Amino acid sequence: MPLTLKDIAKIAGVAESTVSRAINNKPGVGAQTREKIMEIVREHNYQPNQLAQGLAKRETHLLALIVADLTGPGYSEIIKSMEKTANQAGYQLIICNTDNNLAKEKTYLNLVGQHRVDGAIILGGTLANNNIMKLALNQDELLVLVNCLAEEVLIPTVLVDNARGGYLATVHLLEQGLEKIALVMGPANDFLESEKLNGYQQALADYNIPFREQLIIKTNLSREGGYNAFFRVMKIDELPDGFFVTNDLLAIGLTEAIKMGGYLIPGDFAVVGYGDSIISAVINPALTVVAEPLQQLGRLAAEYIIKLINDQAIEEVIRVLEPELIIRESSSP
Amino acid sequence: MASVTLTNVTKRFDEVVAVDNVNLEIKDKEFLVLVGPSGCGKSTTLRMVAGLEEITSGNIEIGKRIVNDVPPKDRDIAMVFQNYALYPHMDVYNNMAFGLKLRKFPKDEIDRRVKEAAQILEIEQLLDRRPKQLSGGQRQRVALGRAIVREPKVFLMDEPLSNLDAKLRVQMRTEISKLHDKLQTTVIYVTHDQTEAMTMGDRIVVLRDGVIQQVADPLNLYNQPNNMFVAGFIGTPPMNFLDATLVEDGGKYFLDGAGSFKIAIPEDLAKKTPELKEYLGRGVVFGVRPEDLSDASLAEKEVTEYNSFMAGVEVVEPMGSEIYLYLTLDDHSMIARVEPNSTAKVGDNVKLRVETEKIHVFDAETEEIIF
Repeated sequence: MPLTLKDIAKIAGVAESTVSRAINNKPGVGAQTREKIMEIVREHNYQPNQLAQGLAKRETHLLALIVADLTGPGYSEIIKSMEKTANQAGYQLIICNTDNNLAKEKTYLNLVGQHRVDGAIILGGTLANNNIMKLALNQDELLVLVNCLAEEVLIPTVLVDNARGGYLATVHLLEQGLEKIALVMGPANDFLESEKLNGYQQALADYNIPFREQLIIKTNLSREGGYNAFFRVMKIDELPDGFFVTNDLLAIGLTEAIKMGGYLIPGDFAVVGYGDSIISAVINPALTVVAEPLQQLGRLAAEYIIKLINDQAIEEVIRVLEPELIIRESSSP
Repeated sequence: MASVTLTNVTKRFDEVVAVDNVNLEIKDKEFLVLVGPSGCGKSTTLRMVAGLEEITSGNIEIGKRIVNDVPPKDRDIAMVFQNYALYPHMDVYNNMAFGLKLRKFPKDEIDRRVKEAAQILEIEQLLDRRPKQLSGGQRQRVALGRAIVREPKVFLMDEPLSNLDAKLRVQMRTEISKLHDKLQTTVIYVTHDQTEAMTMGDRIVVLRDGVIQQVADPLNLYNQPNNMFVAGFIGTPPMNFLDATLVEDGGKYFLDGAGSFKIAIPEDLAKKTPELKEYLGRGVVFGVRPEDLSDASLAEKEVTEYNSFMAGVEVVEPMGSEIYLYLTLDDHSMIARVEPNSTAKVGDNVKLRVETEKIHVFDAETEEIIF
């Protein structure tokens, strides 16, 4: 009787999945183990049964998109682009919203472990947790992270450099000749917000402008937070001449407050927002923003996972995308 | 700081028993190495301690707490793997800090931990550099730094050096050992490389097919292996094994190689091993390490009929400070590490002296050591 994968696994003393990965030249098998398995394959002249192979592959042409919170900024654009790329390559996208619930997430990740989908994209959540790490270590590594960082293991990732975004916004205001730039941001212990703050500080340093703590207004990421931020700024002895606002809702509140006070944008205060959403587009005057490459993010994530499924190499395992500054009316005096 | 105790720990994947009834006590601040060939269960054992793999039965304690059902994040451990992610757009500081930032640690605390880790790893001057500006060793240190800033009770390292080139691997071995001295933390380290195990571990656990073969410090493991597997796995080149029969002649014991050799077992060894008597007339396995064989023509110590034998030279491999002779004796292949001035050539029949005080004898059936 011809030798099966199971027999080889037994001889090699490894799991069947390891043998399969070694034979199909997939990642996740140590060099020594791979060599040992291939030696057994050669020795026994093992020929994979193609029919069984097709069945075993259980290709579903389904991709799971696991999202920590569907209401995340720009997610609809990211997901649309992801779906378009997936569809073009013959894959369907299943959206799994976990509501930041780990048990729910585990259930969805099991879809990958049980091969009920061909791979999964994890969007957001910021830090890959142990459920994700376990899967990345034990399965066929068919995971891609989007705007999510992994501490211990290397998982293919696409993300946006938010520090760069903060830098671009601040430099733009500095280049308008402004030196007193207030930063209106969310809580500093929010990682993405702290990244934008890093970029802001780097820009000041590069232009030899001293950093002033009092110009940093930390608030909750809401319209009201933005509105109140302006009144907090007005209590500072020396008023700023420009604002960098790290979020859409904050930008709405802030511009409302500026206008309520009878000030002009950009005449009295220049404003740069973050995120090129419909919200920032309807603010009057049209808001200069740092735009995240959302479509590219979605497209690349889908491309990455499809490449992994098809055993194609990914050139940059961690791909960092740069945001772009869109100059409109709110920032040029 | 914490001890780690595994009691009757078993892991099954369907029908395959990956880890079989493992009992192990890792002391506080100990550097314990799990070593064995691929598929021996060493990574699975480590992942069970980490909480990344559920245990089928048994108990795992970290400190005095049973952690069977404790999620990984609450186990006070940090893991280091061979593939780690260094983010190209972040400097070294942020590559070490982001995990703490995302766990919402206070800024001052993050700063203290990152700077302390950088000092320990001697990478303070690199904190504002990006990963692409770092050498391979420096990158590895950043990955270690990311684990250090978590201030875990136990470090779990799974082949962290296997992606590095040979030279760097040797350098990082020393670095990790030094790091352990500085941190005074418990480390469980998994490797398939016995040299790594021997040079780094306070104690070494040799695993095979999910079963512990031996737990010992490096020297004891080398000098007193429990069985042929350990004897063959630890040491490069590996121990030579020759089939022999135990015979008695004039009140002395000999290993008889059916005309190929007759090696006298030193009396003190025989005295210490009274059970040797039970093997008289039976097949045993004679084990001798390559460095305990020498070119008899150069020997300063006495060469007799009963501490030497002839073997055919197949390959001569000069290593500089010594020569490896690949030999055949009947159907057996063997290796001798002889003096650099040996003139043995391919095709020669060379006389080898055996350092009989250092030989081993194994039970041919059970492969367990007799002495």
